[in-house]
Amino acid sequence: MSSFIRRLAENTRNDFVSFLAKSPRLKTQIIALKAFHVINFACACHLFSEYVGFVRFVDGPSMIPTMSQTGELVIENNLTHRLRPNSLARGDLVTLVSPLDPQRLICKRLMGLPGDIICVDPTGQQAPSSEHVVVPKGHVWIMGDNAAASRDSRMYGPVSMSLIRGRIYARIWPWREITIFRNPITYLD
Amino acid sequence: MFTTFRHQWLALHKSWRCLLQTNPALRWPLVTLYWLPTGIVFSKYFYSLRSVKGMSMQPTLNPDISQWRDVVLLDHYSTRVKGLYRRGDVVTVWSPMEPGVLLIKRIIALGGDKVKTLPPYPDTEITVPEGHAWVEGDEPFRSDDSNKFGPVPLALLDSRLLLIVWPFARIGFVPHPSEASVKSPRGGPAWRQEKAETERHQWRTSRVTVGPNS
Repeated sequence: MSSFIRRLAENTRNDFVSFLAKSPRLKTQIIALKAFHVINFACACHLFSEYVGFVRFVDGPSMIPTMSQTGELVIENNLTHRLRPNSLARGDLVTLVSPLDPQRLICKRLMGLPGDIICVDPTGQQAPSSEHVVVPKGHVWIMGDNAAASRDSRMYGPVSMSLIRGRIYARIWPWREITIFRNPITYLD
Repeated sequence: MFTTFRHQWLALHKSWRCLLQTNPALRWPLVTLYWLPTGIVFSKYFYSLRSVKGMSMQPTLNPDISQWRDVVLLDHYSTRVKGLYRRGDVVTVWSPMEPGVLLIKRIIALGGDKVKTLPPYPDTEITVPEGHAWVEGDEPFRSDDSNKFGPVPLALLDSRLLLIVWPFARIGFVPHPSEASVKSPRGGPAWRQEKAETERHQWRTSRVTVGPNS
């Protein structure tokens, strides 16, 4: 290991010395080109995390007991629902941009697909429990698992599918609670 | 460990050089592919060119006299990065009903405002919820807008119309409707156009009561 560090230092030093020996004009050119390469790499990473998926930190009380309030790292899958929009199913954990604040990302459970008839609030706290709505075309109904501490479709109604970013695939931290999230919904005939 | 990494990296670099030298025709496609992420991020978060389809923004965009589809420069930076939304701006909106369809509309009202709606909407007057916008086309009878699908979340606003690039006769910045004024000599076609523009703006603003917190 120590030889590894020594060699690394040596090589860096050699590169640096040969860089210093170059003319000022060439130095600026090299630095500018390196900067463009770094920016390009950052853009590629951003696009990957946006369209394919990456590790993401989630916290907050609205998804207790599925997710903890103190926060955890999850893997987000942003690719599948873009390739096959029909693969969204009731019971999936989805991440979406909050319809109340464009800067905020939220994570909820998908409860209703377009055309479903949904009871707005079975607990009867935010709306009478007899009130039902039909989810319009291109929209979905989302709810937090912890109904008491969640602002979701019960409050702002069905949300547009265009707001959906991706689905949560698995939890990778804390280590003791590594899980692949399976869709828990069973249909009764 | 490190030396092997470095050797592998140098070998990779060498074979890449070799590939480019032996097939010079590959150079431009590969270089373009390499820099593509920067290009995509630039057109997603900064500026992009697009052509406008449809009649919903007549006569501001795609007027009847035009033979071509309008090509416009869109400013994503002010909406997506700075989060700047103004009543009267022409914006592109991801359709709430059909994911993946981009619409071009004008912001009529923002969160907290009261709007008098137009026919297809069930209520005659609504208050736009916080974090939402009321968008309409300039040609209300040929437009699928908030009167059909209700207020749209601000997160669906993608960019702001900055300038018209093509056709040549109408090149230039698209002014905010409050800055437009009737300047041409009275009676000519330009005067009629400007007059109609200001009247439309007055009609639009007359239907909106601006909310308390803006």
